[in-house]
Parts: sequence; C-alpha cells; structure tokens
Amino acid sequence: MTGALLSVQGVHRTFGTGPSAVHALNDVSFEVEPGTMVALVGRSGSGKTTLLNVIGGLDRPDAGTVVVDGLDVTGLDEDGLSRLRRERVSYVFQTFGLIPVLSAAENVGVPLRLAKSDPAEREKRVALLLDLVGLADHAQQRPGELSGGQQQRVAIARALAASPRLLIADEPTGQLDAETGLAVMALLRGVVESEGVTAVVATHDPVMMALADRVIRIADGEVTC
Amino acid sequence: MRLPLHWPSIRGRARADAGPLMLVALVVSAVVLLAGATPPLVRSTSDDATREAVRNASDDAAVRVEADWPDDYGPTGGRMRAPKLAEDVAALGSLAEGDLDPGLRSALLPPVSTVSSISLMVTDGSVQRRLQLEYLLTTKGTPAVTWVAGREPQAATDDEFLEVPLNGRPWPVQVGLSEPEAAALGVGPGDRIPVQDERRNPYDVRVSGVFRPVDAGDPAWRLAPWVLNPAANRDGFGSTRFGGLLSPESLPDARLAFRSDQLRRAVRFDADPETLTWQSAQALAAEVATLKAGSAVSAARDTSLKWATQLDSVLRDLRDQIATATAQASVLLIGVLAVALLVVALAAELLTRRRAAALTTARQRGASLPALAAELVVESLAVTVPAALLGLGLTVLLVGSAALTWAVPFVLVALCAGPVFGTLAAARATRDRRTPANRSARRWARRTEVIRRFALDAAVVALALAALVALNQRGVEADLPAAAPALCAVAVALMLARLLPPGTRLVLRLALRSRSPLALFGAARAAATASRVLPVLALTTAIALGSFATTLYATTQQGLAEGAWQTTGADVRLNVSSEAASSTPEVAKKIAAAPGVRHAVAAQVTENARFIGDDTTVTARLIVVDTAAFRALLADTPLPGLPPIPSGSGDLVPALVRTGDGSLTPGMAFRLPRPAYKAINMTAAGAAPALGAGDDVVVVDAAAATAAGMVFEPNTVWATGPGAAQAARSSGAQVTARTDLLAERREAPLSSGLLRLSLVAAAILLVLGLLGFALAATASAPQRWETLARLRTLGLRRRDTRRVAVGELLPAAVLAALCGPALGALLGWLTLGPLALRRLTGQAVDPATVTPWWTIEAVTVVALAVTVVTVVAAESAVRRRRRLSEILRVGGQ
Ligand SMILES: Nc1ncnc2c1ncn2[C@@H]1O[C@H](COP(=O)(O)OP(=O)(O)OP(=O)(O)O)[C@@H](O)[C@H]1O
Ligand SMILES: [Mg+2]
Repeated sequence: MTGALLSVQGVHRTFGTGPSAVHALNDVSFEVEPGTMVALVGRSGSGKTTLLNVIGGLDRPDAGTVVVDGLDVTGLDEDGLSRLRRERVSYVFQTFGLIPVLSAAENVGVPLRLAKSDPAEREKRVALLLDLVGLADHAQQRPGELSGGQQQRVAIARALAASPRLLIADEPTGQLDAETGLAVMALLRGVVESEGVTAVVATHDPVMMALADRVIRIADGEVTC
Repeated sequence: MRLPLHWPSIRGRARADAGPLMLVALVVSAVVLLAGATPPLVRSTSDDATREAVRNASDDAAVRVEADWPDDYGPTGGRMRAPKLAEDVAALGSLAEGDLDPGLRSALLPPVSTVSSISLMVTDGSVQRRLQLEYLLTTKGTPAVTWVAGREPQAATDDEFLEVPLNGRPWPVQVGLSEPEAAALGVGPGDRIPVQDERRNPYDVRVSGVFRPVDAGDPAWRLAPWVLNPAANRDGFGSTRFGGLLSPESLPDARLAFRSDQLRRAVRFDADPETLTWQSAQALAAEVATLKAGSAVSAARDTSLKWATQLDSVLRDLRDQIATATAQASVLLIGVLAVALLVVALAAELLTRRRAAALTTARQRGASLPALAAELVVESLAVTVPAALLGLGLTVLLVGSAALTWAVPFVLVALCAGPVFGTLAAARATRDRRTPANRSARRWARRTEVIRRFALDAAVVALALAALVALNQRGVEADLPAAAPALCAVAVALMLARLLPPGTRLVLRLALRSRSPLALFGAARAAATASRVLPVLALTTAIALGSFATTLYATTQQGLAEGAWQTTGADVRLNVSSEAASSTPEVAKKIAAAPGVRHAVAAQVTENARFIGDDTTVTARLIVVDTAAFRALLADTPLPGLPPIPSGSGDLVPALVRTGDGSLTPGMAFRLPRPAYKAINMTAAGAAPALGAGDDVVVVDAAAATAAGMVFEPNTVWATGPGAAQAARSSGAQVTARTDLLAERREAPLSSGLLRLSLVAAAILLVLGLLGFALAATASAPQRWETLARLRTLGLRRRDTRRVAVGELLPAAVLAALCGPALGALLGWLTLGPLALRRLTGQAVDPATVTPWWTIEAVTVVALAVTVVTVVAAESAVRRRRRLSEILRVGGQ
C-alpha cells in the first residue's frame, strides 16, 4: 500500500474484436497523490473518457487494477460500485446532467439524500457549497433558468456535496465559452484546495493544464507523461 | 415537380423502426376489421331479429285477405248451390297474389286459402267439445290424405242447379275426420256428428270417411291443426276443438249448411322468415299498410279483398329496437375509433422522436421538407395500405362483406399521422427558433402558447357539449350525437391531462419533503414528462370509454333481469282464459301446495280498465287481489313492495293508485263504470308501486271489491319459489316463467349481439389504452434511462432505478385508473338515457345506470400495474447488459 489516493496499474481496455478492435487503453499505469489536481490531456479519441470511466467504475478494464482510496474498484460488484460512487468518487460531466425540475439547491442536495444525511445538515451543506461556487443568490432557480457556466458550477457543487475523495471531471468546460470555462476551472482549482479532494480532469484546455498540479498525457491509449 | 425520393434512407428508417411500424400496421388491421365488420354484423343481426320477430309473431305477422261471399239468392228466394265453389276459392288466392308487388311476393310463403265455419258445440253429452269445419287449399291443391275408412266427402246432391229454401231443414254436409278425432268422438263413416250452434240450431254434419295425412308437416295443416288432432282450450278453458275436413265436392254443401256470416273464406300469406330481411320487411309492411288502407275504404259488405295484418305493428316495435341497437353499436364503434386514432398518433410521435436526429441531419444535408414529407408518406403508405387491405380481407372472410364508412376515414387519418408528425418535427428542428433571450419576449411567447392551448381545449369542449346537447335533443340517430360519449371522454380526459402537470408538481413538492430519494426521483421524472398530453389523453379516454362499454353491458343485463321481473310479476305468471276463471282459485291453491313454491296469489287483472275521476278518464291496469297475500308475494321479489291499504270511508272501495301523468292522486275519489251495473265508487287511498309494463295501475283488495258488489273472477296467478314454474306448467294454462323469458330476451339477436359488442369493445379499448401507454413509455424511455444513469453516477443502486422508473410512469396510470372509471360512469349517466335501453330490456322506463365499479377498478388496476411493471422490466432488461459508460455516451438509447 502506497500513500497514493489513486493507483492505476496495467489497465487495458479494448472495444470490439478481430481486425476492427480498438485498443482504447493500452497498459496504462500511474498514481495520484491525495489532494492533487491532475489534468488528463490528449487528442480526441486518445482514450481520456475511457480512462476516466474505468477509474470511476463506470466501465471495467479488460486487464489491470484501479485502486481508489485503498479500494480495488475493479473487484467491486454493482452494490460496491454504488457505494463507491455515493461515498468516495463523484463526477462532473461536460453536459452538466442536472435534474431539470429541481432547483439549484435541490440538485446539490441529491447526493446527500442518497446518503440519507439529516435534512437540517443537508441544507446547511447545500448552502455552504452554493456559497462556495458563488451561486447563493441563485439557489431557487431551476437549471433552465441558469446559464451554462452557472449550471456547471451547480454540478460541481453537487459533485462535492457528499465529500468525495476523488472528483472525476470529463471536459467540464467543453460546452462553455473560454471566459466562463476559465472561471469554472478556477473554481475547480479552488475547491480542490478548500475541500481537500483529489481531482482528475480531462481537458483540451491549456489554461487548465497551467492550473493543474500535474499533467498526464495520453495518446492512442498509452500514458506518456 | 418530381420529388427526389431517397430510397435507401426510406428503407433504412423502416428497418430501424420495424417494431413501431408493425404495431401501427397491427392497430390499423384490427380497427379496420372491427369498423368494417360491425355495420354488416349489425345489419345481419337486424335481419335475424326481423326473422325472429316475424317467427314469434306468427299469426300477427301473417298477411290475411278476406272477402265476403257473393250473394247466393236464387230466383225463388232460396239459396243456390254453387257446385264450382272450390274453384272460386282457388281464384281468390290468385286474385290476392295479383294485388301484391312481385318483389314483396317473394318475401311471403305461397298462400293458403281457407274456408272455416264457426265452431259448433258437439252435443254427445261430453263437456265442451267443439267442431269446426275446414276447407284447406294450398297452391299445390288440397293437402294429401289417404282414406283409411270410408271415402272422401261427397256432394250431397248431383243436381247442378239446386235452390234450397231459406228456412228448410239443415242441409247435409259431409266431412272427413282424422283417425284420432274419429276415435275420440267415437264415430265412423256414415255416422252423423250431433252438433248445434250457440242458439241451439242443429246442423247435419256426416262423416264420409276417416283419413290419415300423407304429410302432417304440410303448411296447410298449420292453419287448422285441430283437423289432425283435438286442440285444447281453443274455445275457452277446458274446451276441446275438433275439425272436420271438407273436400271440393262437399264445400258447396257447407256453404248451404251455414249462413254467410258463419262461414269465412280467407287467404293467408305467411311471411317467409328465411328470405325476410329488415329491408324487405319494412317494404312489405309499408305495402301491406297501403293495401290495408285501401280495403278499409270500401263499404261494409262486398266481395272485395280486405287485407289485414299486424306485421306493420310487429315491425314498428322492432324498428325501435333496431334503431337503439344500431345507435349503441355506433357509439361503441366511434369510441374504439377515437382511442385507436390516439394510439396511432402516439405511435407516430414515438417514431418521430426516434428519428428526430436523423431527420434533422437530413434537413441539414439539404433535403427539402416536401421531399422528407414525401418519403414519410411513402413509408406510411407501405405500412397502412397493406394493413388496411389485410383488415378488409379478414372482414370479408369472416362476415362476408365489409363496410367502408368508418374504415376509410380512419385509414386516411392513420396514413397522415406519421408524415405530419415527422414533417412538423423536421420543420421545427431546422427553423432555428431558439427561446428568445429577452424576458418580455419570452413571456409573450409563453402567453401565445397558453392562448393557443386554451383555444384548442375550448374547441374540443364545445364540440363535446354540442354533441351532448344534440344527443339529448335529437336522439342518437345522427352521427354527431353518436360521437357524444367519445367526444365527452376526450374533452374531460384533455382537462385531466392539463391538470396532471400541476398535480405532479404538487407531488414533487411533497416528495421533496419526504426522506425517500426514490420518491423524489420518481416524482421529478414524472413532473418532467407530465406536460405530454397525448399519453394521458389516450389512456384516460380508453379506460373511460371501456368503463362506459362495461356500464352499458351491466345496465343492459340488469335491465333485462328487471324487465323479466316486471313482465312476469313473479317467478311465474299464469294467464287463465275467462271461460276457466272459476277454477283459478283452485289452480292457485294447487300451485301453492306444490313443492318449492313459496307464494301463489290469484288476481283479477284487467288491462286498460277505464276509470272516471273528477273530470278525467284514466286508463289503467286494474288489479283486484287479496292484498295481504299479494304483499307477501311481492316482498319475495325484487319488485317494489305494496304499501298497506287504509280502510275506505263509507261505501268507497279504497285503492292504491299510480298514474304516469298524475291524474289520480291519493285522496281523490273516482269510479269504475260497469256496463249494465252500478259503477263502483273508489277512493285513492295510497300510492301503488309500478306493477307490470305500463305506468298506470290501480290495486284493489278483493274482499273490499266483492263487498262493493264486484264479481271477483281471477284470471291471473302469480307464484314465487324455485318450484313455481314446474307447478304452473302442469296446470294447463298459459304460463310465463321469468327465467325462460329472461333467457329468451338475452338470447334474442339484438340483445345478445349488443351485449357481445359491448364486451368486445371494452376489451379492445383496454388493450388499445395499454398499448398507447406502452408506446408513450417507449417514447420517453431514452430520456428516462439517461437520467437514471446519471443518478447512478451519484450512487443510485441499479435495482432502485426500476422503482424510480415505475414512479415516473405511475401518475398517468393512477390518474387513468382513478378518473377513467368515474368518467365512464358519468358518460353512462349522461348518455344512456337517449339510447333508450328500455326498448331492448322490455322495461317500462329506462333501467337505472349500473356501473360495476369493483370489476372495472380491479381489471383496470391489475392491467395497468402489469403493464407498468412489464414496461419497466423490459426497458431495464434491454439496458441491463450495457455498461453505464455506454448509456451515458450515447444518451440512454
Ligand atoms: N463503446 C465503444 N465501442 C467501440 N469503441 C469505443 C467505444 N467507446 C470508445 N471507443 C473508442 O475508443 C477510443 C477512445 O475513446 P474515448 O471516448 O475515450 O476518447 P476521448 O479521448 O475521450 O475523446 P474526446 O476527446 O473526443 O472525448 C476511440 O477510438 C473510440 O472510438
Ligand atoms: Mg471524451
């Protein structure tokens, strides 16, 4: 056991069989220390999303192991994965993925509801997080009434709600203009500091790379850092 | 302009969406089958009903022609014998046939000519034996017989020109007797049968021989069955009628033996039930009515043809029944068509959703809207037309013909649904009209949307109301009124669909307060999809109209049962002929003593008795009965009970009264006038219940009536109990058993056809509703499972996703399960009145609406629960093998 929060060892992931098979991940290994923010960069189709999915347990590797916070993700069953997502790993997607009929505050509270936390504490935490992402004034607005950047900030607040150890973000600024993207990135950077989470962020954005503690490059399914 | 059709994309789309397209084809086939088959079935059922009515009416439905005899006075004031009289009788038949339209002639059986004497009393010492002389002639001649003893009746004289004095001795006439009758009368060839008429004038009737019919089934015998076998009760209770057969030779003697008015000649045409249809029966009735009217004009005594038949009145009742049945069939059919259209629209919506991306891409690649529309029309034609043809083919195969009235419009709408939805979606996708950024513009857009929706709702509601009003004012025989239940169902379901979004928002607010995250997610998804009107509309309308059909079924059944009780008045009713009235109390006592009989009451029932009130005359059914016994009997039936009769004041007979127009009310004095006797004075002492088919009843206690000088001659016996019918049948009187009557009415073509159609329609509506529900669920499935996948990234367990999915589908199902049956019952209450079910149930007033709540609720809830669970299980199974990463990557498909 090392001190790493995330440890990826010899991971392979191949789509399809025969001549048309795509080796999306090819013997990928690396480790991430707790509290760091890692930028995962590579050209389109290089395997970034596939790698993040494997790390977060949304997909299983054909070979290799992924250990998050001391837990072997690749060995978990469905329930174990659900618990992992509820307690240790959370995601931020390019398309936000908020529930449209719920307000910003209610969206942020969803992971806390899944964790069955006390309503009073939940509300306190939601208020804190909305404040953190700078949306305290927009708590009662629905996603449809928020701008893209605001929605992504709500999504980040939601990802942080259950105090995860690892935050996985797949091109979180992909649908935002440069300026808004920058603000979101800065926010991510800030919460990694303040909440003490570890973050792996796939991005094309050079600014993000500058903000990150470390950059992992991936090309044709191989890590070349 | 030639539209560039892109065949590969047409084929590709059709292959990708083979499932929904097949489903549309299936619905089109099934509905075309139903819509095509119902009108011919209604027609053939009407024909069956016509045949049955004519068969049941037998004597009433026959067309009779009578003609008085020409005078036969001779030159010396006596009567001339007419040796060729048989030829005259035959000529009368041909004459009558000549008067009939040849088309109608084919609806009638060949005529039978008869010459019948009055019935004479046989004075051989035995009681109540009667003899009637008959001459029978069909188009094939007199019915064939073999003479087993003696010979055929001969002429009494061979003098060609014979004149007999008016007041001479009885003129001898020879008749043949059948074997059983000769044996019963104890006479043989050469014997004289001692007979006389009511005035004790003797007649000289001699037996020439004893015969055996060659074919006892010859239609001629049916007109005088007493010629073959003694017939009981024809001339009063306890009487036996015998028949003496005349031959062409002895017929002229019969003419001389009787006065002109004692011997009647007639030609009878029986309607041919086998070839009769509703159409031909109506034409026949009209023709006969004209002939009847024409013959009524002529003077009282002449030899012209006088036409008589009750066929027109037999058909009048039938016409009402057929009108009611046809109207109900249209109502049910329109309901099914309406729901089928909603389902087809849902299928079109599903297809359009699945193709949204492809259509948008096609547009962006430069395909014009008309070209896209044309491609969709080609696809729709390829699906709808073969399906419709298949449905029509099946219809022709199953019922022999197919009606296009309803099928063609349905197919046309089904044909257009897919292309219209698809083209509109493609147009919308590429019109590039984003929500305006500016707040007031957004508000304006929202307001126009609200106004447009309100206009649509108002139009639907107005149409439904118009149909309802038309139904209540004009009856159901036009198309708009027949659509009233369907339109009302759609209108109310539309209102309910509009209420669903606020409803789900309310549930969402409650779910936010609950501690269960699953409830919250389900409510959130439900709130997100609640604004789709079509699914709720289709499901609620289907359940409502299905409940309506079930209500129609249950109400008809209940009405038939009540109608049988009303017509019979007990488990069994005996009608005793007036000659045997003196024995009625005995009969009642005997029945009461039989095993399995609980009550038996003898009563004197006079239909259409005339009463005179203050300044009105009232025609009512008079029941004179031992009221205490009658009350006990009625208490044993579901019929209304008989209140006690307060004692009358002075010599007034106290009576319970009931009049439809309220012309007799409790407290009033009135009287029953009697020919040649003092009128009976009565007082209306209380309200009578409805007894019998009519609305006007007067009930009087037998003891009080006798005390007032009335003669109590009971002619009716009512009895209850499981053994009542059995006991009554052995009494020899005319018996009406309630259960037999009920079975007969239930199995009558119109009632049974209608009952079956209601059940079939209810089943089809339920299936269509569930199908629409499943289609709607399939359309929203991608979004649903994408949301569920996102929730799973937040830690929702896989098995909980199914519960959330159920929670999303539940509101529409719950709304339909709660409101559908209630709406169906409301429709029954609003629209069954004008449908005049009483015409089919044999009741005086329309039956009260019966909604079998529990059955409907149980079936609806179970069916919906099974559908929801199945849909969710299937959706979940389809996605089970897919990893979360895949679902998220492609957006849940
Ligand atoms: N379900 C799948 N089936 C087949 N091939 C797949 C599947 N998922 C991913 N791939 C392939 O794996 C490779 C890596 O894809 P991945 O989505 O990880 O790239 P990426 O780096 O995230 O690209 P982008 O920056 O465009 O998001 C690609 O070549 C893709 O085509
Ligand atoms: Mg990617």
